[in-house]
Amino acid sequence: MNRPTSELLTGVVVDTLEKMAFLFAFSQEANGSGAVTEPLETAEVSFCGPCSGRLQFGLSASVMTELAGNMLGAEDTATLSIEEQHDALKELVNVICGNLLPAIGGQEAEFSIGSPQIVGAAQPPLGPAAVESRLTLEGGICRAAIELGECRLTGAGVGKGQNVKGHMG
Amino acid sequence: MGVNILIVDDSAVMRSMIRKTIELSGLQLGEIHQAADGREGLTALETHWIDLVIADINMPVMNGEEMIERMQAVPGLKSIPAIVVSTEGSRVRIDRLNRRGVRFIHKPFSPEMIRDTVKDVLGCEVFHESAH
Repeated sequence: MNRPTSELLTGVVVDTLEKMAFLFAFSQEANGSGAVTEPLETAEVSFCGPCSGRLQFGLSASVMTELAGNMLGAEDTATLSIEEQHDALKELVNVICGNLLPAIGGQEAEFSIGSPQIVGAAQPPLGPAAVESRLTLEGGICRAAIELGECRLTGAGVGKGQNVKGHMG
Repeated sequence: MGVNILIVDDSAVMRSMIRKTIELSGLQLGEIHQAADGREGLTALETHWIDLVIADINMPVMNGEEMIERMQAVPGLKSIPAIVVSTEGSRVRIDRLNRRGVRFIHKPFSPEMIRDTVKDVLGCEVFHESAH
């Protein structure tokens, strides 16, 4: 159950990065690379509906200006503020979440997505059972992870009508 | 007279992306107003002449669906066309918006999707000839 959902997460992240920010990402597993070893700028969004949970997306600090610059069409990325960079990251996690949930919960499911937040030290980390995707970009890396609460899933990645209790893993 | 547009989205980056796309679309543009949630959007509708609303759904304070519902309950505002640009994936919610006459664009979007939808809603005559 874990692997198809990781693939689903990877697919949505790659597609969103490419379409929104013109960033091209590749699976670290496919490259044979190791675990995340550098601190990432991370944004989180929570959601509720047929499933509740949290989604986090982290990106190397070195890629943050390129992300915001590409999204805003800015020619001079040196002038972009930290706030603009964080806003770009928050919008990205929002779009990833919005595109992932129908694939998990089905097209009929109505979810409410909260306001994205930049993850600080106060936020509890996702549990060990969270589904994760690690990707490599030019000049950095990114990591997406989703943690689900109790829910009844009928979409891609799990069997029809399958009830998932606790964290997905 | 150009087309006055209200962009309602809680993300300043997304408002900027939509604004830039609109500016490059060839639309005969008047003023662009911005709001960060549905309540601010309603205030902008009451204080400015708006020809087209482009709104997100998931926003704090008041979401886009409720804002459009309230807008369409006001006689002077209900004929203003609305386009929702959102990550929304629920067929049920999209159908509900479509029944209200609202057009839907899914994020992530291409500039062409925005331009073509605005053209469908407002007509070719509000675009510069080079954009036809």
